[in-house]
Amino acid sequence: MSVRRKGPKATAIRVATYVLLVCVAVVVVFPFAVAVTTAFKRNTDIFTYPPSLVPKKEATIPAADVGLEGDPVPVYSFPDRDDRPGQWALVDGDASLAEFRPLDDLERVIVLDVKAGEKTGETISIDGEEEDVYLVDDGGAQVEAYRSRLTSGGLFVSVDDPSTSVLDLVNFATPAREFGPRFSNFTEVLAEKDPETNGKGVGRSLTNTVLVTILVVLGQIITSILGGYAFARVQFKGRSTIFLMYLGSVMIPFVVLIIPLFQLMLQVNWRDNLVALIIPFAFTAYGTFLMRQFFLGIPAEIEEAALLDGASRSTILWKVMVPLARPAIATLATFGFLYAWNSFFWPLVIINSGNPDNAVLSLTLSTLGGRSSTDTNLVFAGTVLAMTPPILVFLFAQRYFVENSASSGLK
Amino acid sequence: MAAVTFNNISKRYKDGPKAVDDLNLEIADGEFMVLVGPSGCGKSTALRMIAGLEEISDGELRIGERVVNEVPPGDRDIAMVFQNYALYPHMTVRQNIGFALEVAKVRKDEINRRVEDAAEMLGLTEYLDRLPKALSGGQRQRVAMGRAIVRSPQVFLMDEPLSNLDAKLRVQMRSDIIQLQARLGTTMVYVTHDQVEAMTMGHRVAVMRKGVLQQVAPPQELYLRPANLFVAAFIGSPAMNLITADVTIEGDDVFVSFGGHRLRISAKALDRYPGLRERNGTKVIFGLRPEHFAMEEDLEVGDDQVLTVRCDLAEAMGAEVHIHAVVDVPPPAVDGAPIAAEDDPEALVAGTKVIARVDGIHTIAMGQDVRLAVKTHLTHFFDPASGAPLR
Repeated sequence: MSVRRKGPKATAIRVATYVLLVCVAVVVVFPFAVAVTTAFKRNTDIFTYPPSLVPKKEATIPAADVGLEGDPVPVYSFPDRDDRPGQWALVDGDASLAEFRPLDDLERVIVLDVKAGEKTGETISIDGEEEDVYLVDDGGAQVEAYRSRLTSGGLFVSVDDPSTSVLDLVNFATPAREFGPRFSNFTEVLAEKDPETNGKGVGRSLTNTVLVTILVVLGQIITSILGGYAFARVQFKGRSTIFLMYLGSVMIPFVVLIIPLFQLMLQVNWRDNLVALIIPFAFTAYGTFLMRQFFLGIPAEIEEAALLDGASRSTILWKVMVPLARPAIATLATFGFLYAWNSFFWPLVIINSGNPDNAVLSLTLSTLGGRSSTDTNLVFAGTVLAMTPPILVFLFAQRYFVENSASSGLK
Repeated sequence: MAAVTFNNISKRYKDGPKAVDDLNLEIADGEFMVLVGPSGCGKSTALRMIAGLEEISDGELRIGERVVNEVPPGDRDIAMVFQNYALYPHMTVRQNIGFALEVAKVRKDEINRRVEDAAEMLGLTEYLDRLPKALSGGQRQRVAMGRAIVRSPQVFLMDEPLSNLDAKLRVQMRSDIIQLQARLGTTMVYVTHDQVEAMTMGHRVAVMRKGVLQQVAPPQELYLRPANLFVAAFIGSPAMNLITADVTIEGDDVFVSFGGHRLRISAKALDRYPGLRERNGTKVIFGLRPEHFAMEEDLEVGDDQVLTVRCDLAEAMGAEVHIHAVVDVPPPAVDGAPIAAEDDPEALVAGTKVIARVDGIHTIAMGQDVRLAVKTHLTHFFDPASGAPLR
């Protein structure tokens, strides 16, 4: 590294720069992080307050810990009750309970076993109903109360001390939560479309998109290499005119082409067919231009040397020029990939019969996340699935962007 | 191996002057021919025409007995080394050297054997599996050579192959190439703008200027008997001093005078340039190589063969000192004279620059007057209008 400027002022500037960069990075990364974590959440876990980036599930402990057999038992806590510290396992969610309301405070509820309390024999009139008065235990003290309701609730056993147990309504307890990503979001969203299993049919669309993208990228690479090489190195009549026309087509916005292209697809009967997503996009003027410029930058001597070595045009192209053009090809492939992967409007127009077998990812995601969507977690899982390949492609291709090997064989 | 023959070859570019004009040149089988000249003289074009990289506008080119005007480069059985080496950057040294054989569908083990032989010859064996970018300039140069020799072609073509090397390496590669050519005995056409390379390497040297061949001769003859003013000025470093001078003949003695100086010319010079006798009372261009001077104390000559000049600059080179001075005559303005006078109108006013090369033991200060003895028997004379030698 070169010698850097020193001194307090330079240090302050550097610190400020990094602080600013970190802030911007956080702002940029945060929505992405929300999307990724939401993809692993339960649907009930998404709109909790306070919001959390960590996907959580309701905590359980093995049944054996509280002297039971069978499935793990859920764990709750009573944050409002100082007399019930720690965590409590719900060993029986269907215990018979009785709600008592003390006569001196009818708003308060005391939950006890259905057999608890002794009738005093007196009665009291509540809202025009005659109710028996019971003497019940209220945290050690005996109070007079009437039994307002018989219900079922939970039998909780202290996790710390299994010999202690309390009865209470389950919704008076707060379920304890622990880290728990829900991977089945992904299997559900990928599964075949089926209301029974909650399958969303993204898998089929993903396959279609992968197919379309691979073919579009391959087509673009091959046609751009051939066209770019011809425009760069082969002498033929009208070369610059054709090239200018070709390049000029870049200036035409795609929206202008949609209706003619649609008509064309109707004529060749490709409506609602994946071919309509591939063939029109297997040629790219931009890619041809990119390859041409790159080929022009490769010293003519390398090609002349190959010519003298007896290589034919096609040998020169595929064995000498193409390996040297890897950075340009990687760039082209990345752009082609992103374009094909993300394209939405044209598929929306041409894959229009509602046939899910020919839908691509962008279409399926848009219906999945539509107005009537309830499965927010599945929408995000689909989004993450759709995002991952472009990110991987970019990470893989980026080293080629900076690499330029074409000049290193020369002085 | 084969001879290369140019018969009235011309190269004309669209709306441009002729790059090569009516070139007739026979390069013998096994000969080391150097094409030399300033940039734009057509030497590289001539070479590229042999290679087939340039189309021939007119004339007939033969390699051996075969007319190759319409033969594509790959079928001419020639190999070329480029100025920038033009190695394939994505291939290892082994693949680079073997590429031509691979294209020719030679068997794998045969390719390996020949590549290894070539690498051995060039001392590249340990670099065979490296990429060109991991090699030094000299090594890349040798890979380019290896790529040429592995095919055992009829003719080697070299386009300024040493110009990207540093001075020391250049000297070494120069002798390596001479030895290689001598060992292989393959016809070699070597293009350079460096007249030192031309002089040291070629069996014969072809000097070109503006697309026209000036002289083809063995190096020493080129130096001693230049065919015209251009060759005289181009060959030799520092260049020959060319001074416009008046000739007077008094009996058997010939005198040249210029800018207030007067020198008596030895009769030996007259034997070599008999045409000078007919120039009494006219102007000629008088050519003196820098080594035709010596300090007066080193060379016993008569007073009338001493030139007194003021030293403008003294370059001590160790073994010798180069004394730069100016004599008070306009520099020759004839076509072919050194470029300085053509490009720089100021130079016309400033007089003619003279460089003298004297023994290195002398210490000469700037501004000092020096007395230079002139070996007048070695001098050259040219016609001031045509630049032709007065032989």
